[in-house]
Amino acid sequence: MISISNVSKQYRGSARPALNNVSLEVAKGDFVFLVGASGSGKSSLMRLMLREDVPSKGSVHVLGENLVGIPSRRVPFFRRRLGVVFQDFRLLPNKTVAQNVAFSLEVIGKSQGFIQEAVPEVLRLVGLEGKADRLPSELSGGEQQRVALARAIVNKPALLLADEPTGNLDPATSQDIMALIERINLAGTTVIMATHDRGIVDRLKKRVVELKDGEIIRDQVGGSY
Amino acid sequence: MKFVFSEVAQGFRRNLSMVVSVVLVTFISLTFVGTASLLQMQIGQMKNYWYDRAQVAVYMCSDVSATDVCPQGEASEDLKAAVKAKLESQTLSQYIDKYYFENHDQAYATFQEQFKGNAVAKYVTAKQLNETYWVKLKDSTKSQIITESFSGVAGVEEVRDQRSYLDQIFSILNAASLAAIGIATLMLFSAALLISTTIRLSAFSRRRELGIMRLVGASNFYIQLPFILEGVVAATIGSILAGGAVLAIVQFFVQGYLAERLPFTSFVGLTDGLLVVPVLIAAGIVLAALASGLAIRRYLRI
Repeated sequence: MISISNVSKQYRGSARPALNNVSLEVAKGDFVFLVGASGSGKSSLMRLMLREDVPSKGSVHVLGENLVGIPSRRVPFFRRRLGVVFQDFRLLPNKTVAQNVAFSLEVIGKSQGFIQEAVPEVLRLVGLEGKADRLPSELSGGEQQRVALARAIVNKPALLLADEPTGNLDPATSQDIMALIERINLAGTTVIMATHDRGIVDRLKKRVVELKDGEIIRDQVGGSY
Repeated sequence: MKFVFSEVAQGFRRNLSMVVSVVLVTFISLTFVGTASLLQMQIGQMKNYWYDRAQVAVYMCSDVSATDVCPQGEASEDLKAAVKAKLESQTLSQYIDKYYFENHDQAYATFQEQFKGNAVAKYVTAKQLNETYWVKLKDSTKSQIITESFSGVAGVEEVRDQRSYLDQIFSILNAASLAAIGIATLMLFSAALLISTTIRLSAFSRRRELGIMRLVGASNFYIQLPFILEGVVAATIGSILAGGAVLAIVQFFVQGYLAERLPFTSFVGLTDGLLVVPVLIAAGIVLAALASGLAIRRYLRI
C-alpha cells in the first residue's frame, strides 16, 4: 500500500533536513498514527505521500505508484484514488454541503447521475442527512469536518490521509470524528493520521509512528502517544 | 463540460473590468492590423493600376518656359519634328509601346477637365501649357532611357516620369501602414500582458477552489481550461469586433466615401475585407491561447 524507503527531504534555505533517512511500510487496511512535535516532519511526510512534494533522496511508493518518477500529468489520477482531510476542513464557503461534496466529483468528470446518487449516500454515512442544503458557515466544526470526510471518501478511496483532523475540535466532537474514521478504516480503507491528540492515540491502541527531528524514533503496533 | 462553462461565466463576472479591457485592447489592436493589411492591399492594387498607365512626358518649350533651358522660346516645328524623329528611330522605338503628341489646345482641354471648378482653371491660357509628347513604354521601369535621350535636347523643357509622382504617394501610404503595424504590435503586446494579468487575478481569486480541485485530483486540463477559455473568449469577442470594424471601414469609408470622390481609382472592396477578417480572428485566438498558456504555466503550477 505504502512503501517509503530511505527518504530524505531537504528544503531550500534550511540547514537541517525536514526528513532524514525515513523508511516506512504500511499494509492494506492499516491504521497508523503519525505523532511528534511540531516541526518533527509529520507534515512533510504527508506531503510526500500526497505527491505535493518529491523527496530529495529515497523512494516513495503509494497505491502502487512510484511518486518520485510519476509524470506530473498523472498526479491528478493518482490523487483520485486517495482521500484527504485537514485540520482546517478546506470547504468552499459559498457552496452548500451537498455542493461541496458534488464539486469534488464534478471536477474529476463524474456523471450527474452518479453524483446525485453518491452524494446523499455519503452524507448519510457521515451522519449529515438533512443538512445537505446548509452552508459551511451554518455548521459546527465537527459537522464541517464530517463534510470534509464525506468529500474525502465519496470516491471510495483505498487510502485516507488525515492531517490533524481533530486539531480544531473539542474533545467530545473529536471522539465522534474518530469513530467515523474508525468506521471508514473498518470498511477496508487504510488510514494514515497525523495528530497531536494524546487522548485519541492512547484510546485507540493502533500502530504509532513517532517522528523527531525528521527521523522515525518509534514504530509500535498497539502503542500509545 | 457544463462545469467548465459555468467556471468561465463566473470568471467573467468576477473580473468584468479586466475582461472588458482585454476585449477593447484586442479589438483596437486587431483593427489596426486589419486596416494596415488592407492599406497594403490597396497599395498593391494601385501600383498595378497606375504603373501600368504611367507614361513619360517629354515637355516641349513654351513661351513661358524659363530662358536658361529654352533660350529660343516656343519650340519650333523643326525642333518638334526632331523629337518625333528621335522617338521613331530604331534605338528608341524598340522600347516604346506607343506615343502621342498633345498640342496647346488639347493640353488646355485636359487641364480644364482635371481642374474643373478650381479657380486656377479660369486664369490659365492654352499658350501657358506645354506641348507634350506622351510616351508609353513597353516596360514602365525603363523610363531612364527616355529621360537620358531627351534631357538637354534643344526645344525640350523637361522629361518627367509619372512614376516619380506615384512613388512619392506610395511611400507615404507605405509609411502610414508601417506605422499602423507598429502601433498594432505594441497594442497586441499589451493585450497579451493584460490577458496574463487577468488570468493571474482570476487564479488568485479562485485559489481556494483550485487548491481543493488539486487535492481531489482534477486533471490539469480541467483546472486550466476555464482560464484559457476565459482569455480566448474575451480575445475572440475583441477580434470579431475588429473584423466588424474593418468591414465597416471598407464599406462605409472606402467604398462609400473615397470611391465616390475618387472615381478613377480602384479601391479595396468587401471581398478583400472578408479575406482579412478570418486572419484577424485567428490571430486573436492564437494570441490569447499563447498568452493564457504562458500565464497559466507561471501562476497555476499543479
